[in-house]
Amino acid sequence: MNRELSWRNFDFLLLGAIVLASSLGTAMIRSAIAGNEVLQPLVARQVYFALLGVAVIFVVASVDYRYWLALYRPIYFGIMIFLISLSSLGQTAFGAQRWFQVGVLFLQPTEFAKIVAILVLARYFEQARHQPRDLRWAFKAFLWAFGLIFWILLQPNLSNVVVLMVIFMAMLWINGLDLKQVFWLAIGGVLLILIAFPFLETYQQARVLTFIFPDPNATYGATYNVQQALIAIGSGGIFGQGYGYGTQTQLRFLKVRHTDFIFSAVSEEFGMIGGIIIILTLAFIVWRCIRAAQKARDVSGSMIAFGVAILIFFQGAINIGVNLNVVPVSGLPLPFISYGGSGLTALMLGIGLVESVVMRHKQMEF
Amino acid sequence: MSSGSLSRPGRFETWRLATVYVVVVLAFTGLIFRLINLQVTENALWTRQAVDNYTFEVSVPAPRGIIYDRNGSILARNLASYNIVITPAGLPDDVSDIQRIYRELSELIDVPVGGRVDDEALLENAKLFSPCVPGPGITQLVALQDTLAPYSPVKIKCNVSEDVARVVEENSVDWPGVTVEIEPIRDYPTGSLTSNVVGFLGPIPAALEDEYRARGFIPNRDKIGYSGVEASLDDVLAGRNGGRVVQIDVAGQELRNLEPPRPAVPGNNVYLTIDSRLQGVAEASLIQEINFWNTYFGTVRISSGVVIAMNPKTGEILAMVSYPSYENNRFARLIPAYYYEQLSQDPRKPLLNNAISAEFPPGSVFKLSTATGSINEGVVDLDDIIQAPGQLLLCERFNPSDVCTENNTRPFVDHIFEQRPEGFGAVNFLQCIAFSSNVCFYKLGGGFEDEIVQGLGIERLEQYARALGYDEASGIQLLGEQDGLIPDPDWKRINTGENWSTGDTYIASVGQGYVLATPLQVLMSGATIANNGKLMQPTIVRDVTDGEGTSIEMWFNPQDFTLATEQTAGSYQISPFTSNLKWDITVTPKIQSYSCNDSFCDLDEDDLKIVQSSSIDAVREGTRLAVTAPLFGTLNDLFGDFPIAVAGKTGTAEYCDDVARNAQRCQFGAWPTHSWTLAYAPYDDPEIIVVAFAYNGGEGASVAGPIVERVIKAYFELKSIDIAAQENPSAGQ
Repeated sequence: MNRELSWRNFDFLLLGAIVLASSLGTAMIRSAIAGNEVLQPLVARQVYFALLGVAVIFVVASVDYRYWLALYRPIYFGIMIFLISLSSLGQTAFGAQRWFQVGVLFLQPTEFAKIVAILVLARYFEQARHQPRDLRWAFKAFLWAFGLIFWILLQPNLSNVVVLMVIFMAMLWINGLDLKQVFWLAIGGVLLILIAFPFLETYQQARVLTFIFPDPNATYGATYNVQQALIAIGSGGIFGQGYGYGTQTQLRFLKVRHTDFIFSAVSEEFGMIGGIIIILTLAFIVWRCIRAAQKARDVSGSMIAFGVAILIFFQGAINIGVNLNVVPVSGLPLPFISYGGSGLTALMLGIGLVESVVMRHKQMEF
Repeated sequence: MSSGSLSRPGRFETWRLATVYVVVVLAFTGLIFRLINLQVTENALWTRQAVDNYTFEVSVPAPRGIIYDRNGSILARNLASYNIVITPAGLPDDVSDIQRIYRELSELIDVPVGGRVDDEALLENAKLFSPCVPGPGITQLVALQDTLAPYSPVKIKCNVSEDVARVVEENSVDWPGVTVEIEPIRDYPTGSLTSNVVGFLGPIPAALEDEYRARGFIPNRDKIGYSGVEASLDDVLAGRNGGRVVQIDVAGQELRNLEPPRPAVPGNNVYLTIDSRLQGVAEASLIQEINFWNTYFGTVRISSGVVIAMNPKTGEILAMVSYPSYENNRFARLIPAYYYEQLSQDPRKPLLNNAISAEFPPGSVFKLSTATGSINEGVVDLDDIIQAPGQLLLCERFNPSDVCTENNTRPFVDHIFEQRPEGFGAVNFLQCIAFSSNVCFYKLGGGFEDEIVQGLGIERLEQYARALGYDEASGIQLLGEQDGLIPDPDWKRINTGENWSTGDTYIASVGQGYVLATPLQVLMSGATIANNGKLMQPTIVRDVTDGEGTSIEMWFNPQDFTLATEQTAGSYQISPFTSNLKWDITVTPKIQSYSCNDSFCDLDEDDLKIVQSSSIDAVREGTRLAVTAPLFGTLNDLFGDFPIAVAGKTGTAEYCDDVARNAQRCQFGAWPTHSWTLAYAPYDDPEIIVVAFAYNGGEGASVAGPIVERVIKAYFELKSIDIAAQENPSAGQ
């Protein structure tokens, strides 16, 4: 039944946007870490991961996504084992266990877990597509997601828990969750947040609180990173200070400028033009993914593409929001731009799945 | 396959998908708006902050000017002091290399290596120490600096010897990051000899930080003058700090100059009128005399003293000694609390320049004022004979209507009364001065029966005292000058609540009672007489030069203590040296006229009047007679055989201050006395006038007199040495 692969349906515009974004990202990482000898190898590493990622896109695209869905059990439990082992084997970096060292590489299973969650949820919604959209239907979906979320919560990595919850809720929404249930879920969500807040790590509470209620007497240190990001962005102006000439970036006033605050570095050196190009590229990628979801031949394909779209949209918007100080500080990287091998590879994997979906969409022309 | 609710062309319900799109578009649009707001609307604000971030102003300290004496001997200079510093960013990467450097350096400079770098307790302890204070180990000092400013050096040990500094320099290849920092330290080669004139430096006080910062000074690094010439000419000596505006990175490393650097303008050099050789003689004479008498009496009797030597024709102060003084070199790095405490609690007030900042009763040296007034007002004529018995019974009247009775009559004794109860006998005006007869001056000042029908009176005495320089600050370029006190009836009414009495006039006529003067004022009164009525502005500054030795024109305003490069109202020129005439009392009318009747005078509305040259000549003659009159001349023993004609006046001033009162020494008729002597030479054309003062010294001629004699003698010896050196420059080498 497997039709001949139709590369004609491969979304080259999406691939182009991905290549543009990761090229921009690599170039910006190079500028951001200039002068720091320790970080020099990161540029090459990011290039390797980008190239590897493009290969991954083609390989994954060429395989029917339904093969992966069929293998959902080993994939689901495999990633769960990785997540569980993090709690004892993973190193403690920056107070949270998010890394898994394999040779010289630090793998972040969490990044892959997000893709796996999308796959598993897609499979569930495909299977349950005829069931009534009631709380039972939603709760079953939640149980699948929670199998991964629980371990991420233990790391603790609140940001990615939120990402997964958002993807989960967006999928519920698009699959036709009743408005009445939406209302109840919203109330439950608010209650959950209020109950969970006291259990957050102190630094996470502080981040949220300093964002909502800025303390006028706060020490410079508490708001330093965001303040420096704002200075970097604001001083960029319309056309930016030029590649390699942003003083905030080059003189290292901007912290974590190759990962969390790379958007600030772009905005400083390429100005408003650069910042808008990044946002529009992300918007374009999101749009192409939703377009793929629209065209998908079945619910699972549609959910895969939609989930990846929401993943890219939410992570991108939150990261840029942090840079612009409209969202509390979180550790989410900017998709395709920020440094990070696992994150980039996982996203490329996601895009590969989207391409796989779009290549196998129901042909209109036969 | 078909799934009811999902229909073509889209897989999703349109309105549900639309909400997703709306959310996406709203989010991204919001972010773009925020981006534009930051980058376009608020661009200037953020750009300013970015510039602030990387802009750093480095202040380049200006070297302070050097202070010389009149012959070019150095009184204050800058010496290099060596600090061993470590720049954390300059240390090698390898931990064992760093530890080797610490070990080797520790052996050389005797600062402990310190414990483990991760020992929090040691780090916290090290935070409590100021730079240069021994205590923390090298490891802790560097670790702290590494977190603060890794590209700025931290002082490990301050003020090491030149040898140690050289060893560190030689090892610079093996010890990367370790360097020698050269810090200028003020050095005073003449130390305590000139400390009261030269002064010392101290940190910028917290209260004045903003003011000095605005002028380019850096608190905690730059120092300012606290006293002496260092303080009064601070603006001239300090120079102007240079600056570099540099770009720094987040670690504080300097990357490049953002603006052309502004070089520091070195401070100007100051030449004083002081001759440090004569200053040395004056101090040695004073100390020798004080020690002699203290040894003689077997107790510390004379606690402090002052010697000032001046050229009366130019006003140049050649020597100004206030003993005891302090060692200003001990203030070079910092002002040690224990030493400062010791100085400020010393009852002799070593930190004060007693020559200008302390007021004493002048005693008989004040008779010059009474004498000048009496002869000029016609109270007495040159050929009048005055009876000077050993003591005079005078009555104390507080009102013209008071009647003299036994109750208000008391004896006023002459200083010779103990030896000669009959007194000096019949004397003329010149002998009154020469013998310093109190009885004679009581009569001149307050009048006596038919002999001196109308005395000078306090109002007119005040006029003449002021004309000779009393009762106001001289305007010399030194801070803390007192203005003395010439009392008058109004002053007494206000300050003691009593009427002026005739007795007050009598004792004021001999410089006692309420009369107070600084030693410099006494010197000025003598200089006015010596210089035939011309009072020259006393000055301590001879020249101000720039780095190339060129004189800079400079005016000094004594009212508000400011320096200017052009003449302003009330200021006088201090550089290049010109002698400034304060006033000539034979030309400038300084004396207000009074009509006197009995012991009370009324101010005439008439104009001011001058002092006749002949009056001053008469007083001069009197001072000369003090040397030449064989038997009773007060200075005859000292200067009778002196090869150069000397003239002068002595003073033995009774006092009763807190110290004497606490020591129960204020017994009626036997008060302790300060010793004064004032003398000038050569008599015909005076070029040197010296005043010596010994606190609790006793008789003027026998304690202060020998000091003056030695200084005058040294002056003429030095003069002949200088002349010989000028005529044959190689001979002196």
